[in-house]
Amino acid sequence: MTANDGKGPPLRVGEVRFSYGKTRAVDGVSFEVAAGEIFGLLGPNGAGKTTTISMISGLLTPESGQVLIFGGEASGASGAARARMGVVPQEVALYDELSAAENLRFWGQLYGLRGAALQDAVRQALGLVGLTDRRNEKVGKLSGGLKRRLNLAVGLVHGPALLLLDEPTVGIDPQARLHILEVVRDQAKAGCAVLYTSHYLEEAEQICDRLAIVDHGRVLAAGTVAELRRLVGEGPVVQLRGEVDADRLKALAGRCPGVGLLSCADGTASFSARDAAACSGLVRELFQAGLKLEDLRVQEPNLQSLFLKLTGRELRD
Amino acid sequence: MRAILILTLKDLRRRLADPAGLLLNLAIPLVMGAMMYLAFGGRGGDTNAAPVLRILVLDLDQGPVARAITGASGNPEAARRLDMRLVQSREEGLRRLREEEFAALLVLPEGFSKALLDRRQVELELLKNPAQTVMPIVAQQITEVLSLYLSIGARIVGDDGARIRVLFEGEGWTDAAGIAALITSLRDRVIDMRDLLFPPLIEVEKTSAKKDTGGFDLIAWLFPGMVMMGLLFTSVSQMGDLLRESQQGTLRRQLTAPLGAAQVVMAKVLSVAIVVAIAFCLLVAAGRLAFRIHWGALGPLAATGALVVLAATGFAALLFSLVRTERQGDALGGILTMLMSLLGGTFFPIEALPAWMEPLSKLMLSRWGHGALRILAEGGGWEAVSGHLAVLAGIALVCTALGVAFLGRRHLRGAL
Ligand SMILES: Nc1ncnc2c1ncn2[C@@H]1O[C@H](COP(=O)(O)OP(=O)(O)OP(=O)(O)O)[C@@H](O)[C@H]1O
Ligand SMILES: [Mg+2]
Repeated sequence: MTANDGKGPPLRVGEVRFSYGKTRAVDGVSFEVAAGEIFGLLGPNGAGKTTTISMISGLLTPESGQVLIFGGEASGASGAARARMGVVPQEVALYDELSAAENLRFWGQLYGLRGAALQDAVRQALGLVGLTDRRNEKVGKLSGGLKRRLNLAVGLVHGPALLLLDEPTVGIDPQARLHILEVVRDQAKAGCAVLYTSHYLEEAEQICDRLAIVDHGRVLAAGTVAELRRLVGEGPVVQLRGEVDADRLKALAGRCPGVGLLSCADGTASFSARDAAACSGLVRELFQAGLKLEDLRVQEPNLQSLFLKLTGRELRD
Repeated sequence: MRAILILTLKDLRRRLADPAGLLLNLAIPLVMGAMMYLAFGGRGGDTNAAPVLRILVLDLDQGPVARAITGASGNPEAARRLDMRLVQSREEGLRRLREEEFAALLVLPEGFSKALLDRRQVELELLKNPAQTVMPIVAQQITEVLSLYLSIGARIVGDDGARIRVLFEGEGWTDAAGIAALITSLRDRVIDMRDLLFPPLIEVEKTSAKKDTGGFDLIAWLFPGMVMMGLLFTSVSQMGDLLRESQQGTLRRQLTAPLGAAQVVMAKVLSVAIVVAIAFCLLVAAGRLAFRIHWGALGPLAATGALVVLAATGFAALLFSLVRTERQGDALGGILTMLMSLLGGTFFPIEALPAWMEPLSKLMLSRWGHGALRILAEGGGWEAVSGHLAVLAGIALVCTALGVAFLGRRHLRGAL
């Protein structure tokens, strides 16, 4: 019962660290999520997203650092913090032998719902994810996408004030994905604080108010999507594929005013350009240099290019 | 408390949605019982008329293990039921098998003892007399049980714990496939109960003592052992659900809800106990209806049932607190159940075991479980059964406490 006055922000993560044996999975991550906000944790496989969520949900105890939920300690026996939290794990964690409605009823009961309130909550959650028609079917018989939706619904059934979503749209067709994003957005609009992890850039750009880019257990950059874009620069990004050589490209970039080499590895390279003029100067130089190119494209700056700039790697799995 | 109830009801609902697994576990002892019933034509029977098992042995090994086997006929108790004759050659053995009334010819191959002690695979050859029906099957059963004993014995002897540790650490025994095959074949054989006939070794003393009351009731003696085996199989297969839940992520998800690891583990143990209790009731009812076994007054029966159920559940909890995967649990549970049944006297009287096994036998949960039930079936009441109940209570308490504690600790460390 330390300082659990309910006045703190829904979630405050301060310098948490965690290792699995010798593998440092999370290495000093900090962020805050306000009520009504969707905060994204964006990072490639193995970045430490799930480990961070596990520390918040109390499954893992941080080696150092602190997790505060509504101002109270996350770990510890009280369970009061956990009751206000909805967790949607990365894997589908449901009972195949039970129906969709029975699953929701069970998880709702675990969070203290009963009687009419429970029935209402189950009905509402089924409606939210569009499973009302299939509520009496055994989960084992549902398709992968429908199970994902139910997985999300289970996290929502008790009306949490803080929602932790670990890649909830993995393996879902585009339409169902849009639907899930819609549901998440509605939750935030209703005042819920949402932590959303993903390695899909488009998704994060679409729904997150703010986000942190993580890799190797560290936050590389954080801010709103607009702020992060500005980090790359306002100008376009030039990406190319073919015979690339880091020294040569660096020298080439040096000859073009307003151009910087972002990354160069595995037969791909990318540059940032200050503006359109710098961009055309770069393209001219590239062709004159007589490089063997398979592909060349000019893009608006986005998180993809930011990730490239920060890590020198593509954010793809 | 409410959380435990919710979790337990959830498990029971899941069982009801898919009762096949439970029924399969119960079917094994029920089918065994039914087959025995058919084989012996109901209650009673004059055991003095029980046939003698006549068997020929060709000892090509001449090693210590083979000598021990052939020496078994020197035991006066065994000698009354077992007529074992050594032959010098395969030809002589086959001729006598045809001409005299022997049930089978057992060939102990060359190098048998050495191979066994080196823990290499060895084969015993058993030639059954086609002219006889029942006794050759008995011979086969005894040989198979014997080979199980020998292979387990060889494992234990040649083992310093390292191999068992490897099993726990998830790499499995190098011959894990062999163990699995052994377990599967044992289970199959158990189902294939037509074959399991051990009348020649049935306790003699008791029989003569009861002779004037209509003879020894074999089924009332055998069935409690079947009940115990059924309960152990059931508790092991039910407790495996804990690791299934761990694998499918629902266990972790439960821990993100406002409840503690202790509640989760206790609820699982409770739901297993309830399923095992249902199994107990079904088996006892089957014994009453199909085999006309009188279980005596309700009080002692209920107390025995409760303790037997708790002990079997505690055993399974302890087992699953030590293994990593459900398959390891099933395999090891199968081995231990068979071992406890064999050493505990499920198939033949404890008196038929070598004397040095007696203290080992006392450690077997099965022995006390079916022991208590046998006492009840023979008409014993509170007083007669109280010693067994005390031991059962102790086993139940220790196993459950250790199991829950270990499971809870693994849970908290995030290993489940
Ligand atoms: N149970 C575990 N035991 C050992 N190492 C682990 C375990 N879980 C995760 N790791 C390691 O910790 C690091 C971070 O893993 P984590 O699952 O948090 O990443 P993630 O960002 O969620 O990745 P993904 O996008 O693949 O889900 C990785 O290097 C991973 O291999
Ligand atoms: Mg993950």
